[in-house]
Amino acid sequence: MIGRTLTMIGAALLVAMPLRVEAHHSAVMFDDQKEVTLEGTVKEFQYTNPHSWLLVDVTNKDGSVTTWGFEAEGPSTLLRNGVRPADLKFGTKVTITGHPMKDGRPGALWMKAVRDDGKEFWPGGRPRAAAAQ
Amino acid sequence: MRHLVLLGFLILATGTAPLAQANRQAPDEFRRMLAMGAKYATGSEFYAALKKAAPGGGRQVPAFTQLPDWSGLWMASGGGNFFSSGPGGVAPKLTAAAQAALKQGSDNEKNGIEYDENLSQCGPPGYPRWLVIPFLREFIVRPEETWLTSETVNNVRRIYTDGRDHPPVDERYPLYYGDSIGFWDGQKLVIHTNQLMERSMGRNQPVQSEKMETVEIWQKINPATVKADVWLYDPALYAEPWYVERRYSQVPNEDKSLRIRYWNCNENPNNDVLKTPDGSTNYKDFTFDDKPKEPSK
Repeated sequence: MIGRTLTMIGAALLVAMPLRVEAHHSAVMFDDQKEVTLEGTVKEFQYTNPHSWLLVDVTNKDGSVTTWGFEAEGPSTLLRNGVRPADLKFGTKVTITGHPMKDGRPGALWMKAVRDDGKEFWPGGRPRAAAAQ
Repeated sequence: MRHLVLLGFLILATGTAPLAQANRQAPDEFRRMLAMGAKYATGSEFYAALKKAAPGGGRQVPAFTQLPDWSGLWMASGGGNFFSSGPGGVAPKLTAAAQAALKQGSDNEKNGIEYDENLSQCGPPGYPRWLVIPFLREFIVRPEETWLTSETVNNVRRIYTDGRDHPPVDERYPLYYGDSIGFWDGQKLVIHTNQLMERSMGRNQPVQSEKMETVEIWQKINPATVKADVWLYDPALYAEPWYVERRYSQVPNEDKSLRIRYWNCNENPNNDVLKTPDGSTNYKDFTFDDKPKEPSK
């Protein structure tokens, strides 16, 4: 019952509250119904306005490497959420989760990253459910 | 389904302030404020009436020490909508054109079509959209002039409070943020804005006309909140003047680490977006993509 209620709340919020109503551009190119979680190493943290990008090199099953870009808001939003430029330096190992692009390119809307020391980074803010843990 | 729940919580954590506060204003107070502006056919007439009723006819320029302290960083924290119902379910009386534009916008959203004619290429959000944009703001108050600034595209609204009027009619032309004059009524800043540009009021929102004018009353209502009462007059959109209350909350910044930085959309080419053939938004080619391909839309 609780799970069903939470699902309904989640669905209602999805309808009522677009994730980024007035940011620089619409987030419509990302699929907010899907998540992708990847392990890789940080290639570059582009700490820029109006959006930041965390570039992560991911090794595929065939041994090739694909660079994925995870998009977040700009520096002031990242700083308010405790994500500093020095936190994710070149070579840092991360497990990163985001909403992937609809067109299949290796890009995603960055939701969460976990550094290899266990520290979590939520560029859009930590969800209450996660914060309570 | 699990993702739906998680996303709901994510939104709860990051973006529910507008939801939670949208109905903070009591319905009776909302109706009273709406009626205040509805008594006048134009914003100019309303502003003139407010000025006439202010101490000294709104012609006194206060000393710096008499002005309120609006220092610090602020962010929009909710309030009314330009086109949705206000507290108590009172809906704006929209023109047929505005209703049609809203319907079109709603259909676009349902079909996943969104493009921002103003912001996607880093153009100014403009005013009155400025009232609802996110990110950091600073309010710089001086006797002769107040700056209402926002991090988004480095914009500044200049409110002249030194007694000057709007420019002569022959010198007027459309402006992104309009021309704003104001006066201090005690701790309240009263503003009249005209000379606005015809442009979208938001993503999938109607287009305001050059006849748009507004009256605002800004005041600090507690140490952490500045609010703006805003009356909108635009015969292209509203059959009767509309009113919204907007609130701005102080951003915690004890260690002073947060600062407003300059926006340059050309700084990072990965932020370049295009308008797709169906009218939506997608990224151009990424610089990090080692296997580039044409976007599907």
